[in-house]
Amino acid sequence: MMVWVTLLLDAMWAAIPAVGFGMIFNVPRSALPLCALGGALTYALRELLLHGNFSLVLSTFIAATTIGIIGVFWSRRYVMPRPVYTVPSIIPMIPGTYAYEMMISLVRMNTEGVTDALLSSFIENGLHAVSILFAIAFGLVLPSMYYTKRKQPII
Amino acid sequence: MLLEYGAESRLIEQISSRLGVALGCTSIQISLIPSAIVLTTLIGDASVTTTRRAQEQPINLSIVHQIVTMCIAAEQNPRNIMMVEQALCNIHANPYPSWVLIPIIGLSCAAFSHLQGADWIGFGITFLAASGGMLVRKELSHRNYSLLIVFAFTAFVCTLIASLAFYDNLSHSGHIVLSSSVLLLVPGLPYINSMLDAFKGYISMGWGRWTQATLLTLMSSLGIVLAMGLLGLKGW
Repeated sequence: MMVWVTLLLDAMWAAIPAVGFGMIFNVPRSALPLCALGGALTYALRELLLHGNFSLVLSTFIAATTIGIIGVFWSRRYVMPRPVYTVPSIIPMIPGTYAYEMMISLVRMNTEGVTDALLSSFIENGLHAVSILFAIAFGLVLPSMYYTKRKQPII
Repeated sequence: MLLEYGAESRLIEQISSRLGVALGCTSIQISLIPSAIVLTTLIGDASVTTTRRAQEQPINLSIVHQIVTMCIAAEQNPRNIMMVEQALCNIHANPYPSWVLIPIIGLSCAAFSHLQGADWIGFGITFLAASGGMLVRKELSHRNYSLLIVFAFTAFVCTLIASLAFYDNLSHSGHIVLSSSVLLLVPGLPYINSMLDAFKGYISMGWGRWTQATLLTLMSSLGIVLAMGLLGLKGW
């Protein structure tokens, strides 16, 4: 029972960045609540899958695919391009910390000389960042690949 | 047809050709490189080629949305070029006021820090740092500095404020505060767009955007490293 409450709370915290970054990208005002819902949904789904012992990349991929499919329905109903919904929703999953750590270890390798610890941190963080990014992008692309088969625009 | 406000390439291509057909052209061919659009219009037998240079603009999905709406309206009553031109004139940026934007960005970065397990003092410091960073970013991009410099300087300010957490051991989770207060600078949309473009067959656009996003990340980490070097902090 306690687990579900924390999950819900975390999802609500994840909805705030989705709205905030949606505002940076100037999402139309009517789409903001849906962005919040999407952000909360993807984060909660990923946490749930992580809880069920899936790997980080796989659960990110499944969550991104889900929001991609949902985005197709939403964009049909409200006549908007899909990125308006999907991109702010996946913002809470973007591997920003990994990317920064990779770059910082790169800079420090330049100033302090190459050591094993720095090199392994560079490679590890870089691999994490790229693979998570790849998972997100592939998840978002899957629905539109299905629809390009039909030679017909989505909206 | 300057559709470079952060839309993905496939959308740009589809929209232009649909708009062209709706306005009575026979066919439209388009070629994209990261900084320009080449567009050939075929009307009957005559063909017209135009090249437009795309300036670097802040990401604005609401403009993309308005263009898509206009395209659908043009498809519903074709050959009405007056209406399309009027709609193009009516597209406006419609930005959110900064007194809403700054606190909500602070709050979202603070939410990131909370999700990664910072304590409440760390939460407050992250809020302060991210809001300050957002203020700096808005002011600098208002004055038309290059995006790279804006990012580096914002990261510098963010890290300076966030390192308050180490002062007098104010918060027990200083490293989390430090890393999540610069998250407002992650170029998420360029990364995602580049991946999407590459997957859909626009390899050169994908690479161009990937390089741009990597440069932005590099510049902001330079800002972080500079601030950490000034304060003598070690590591994350």
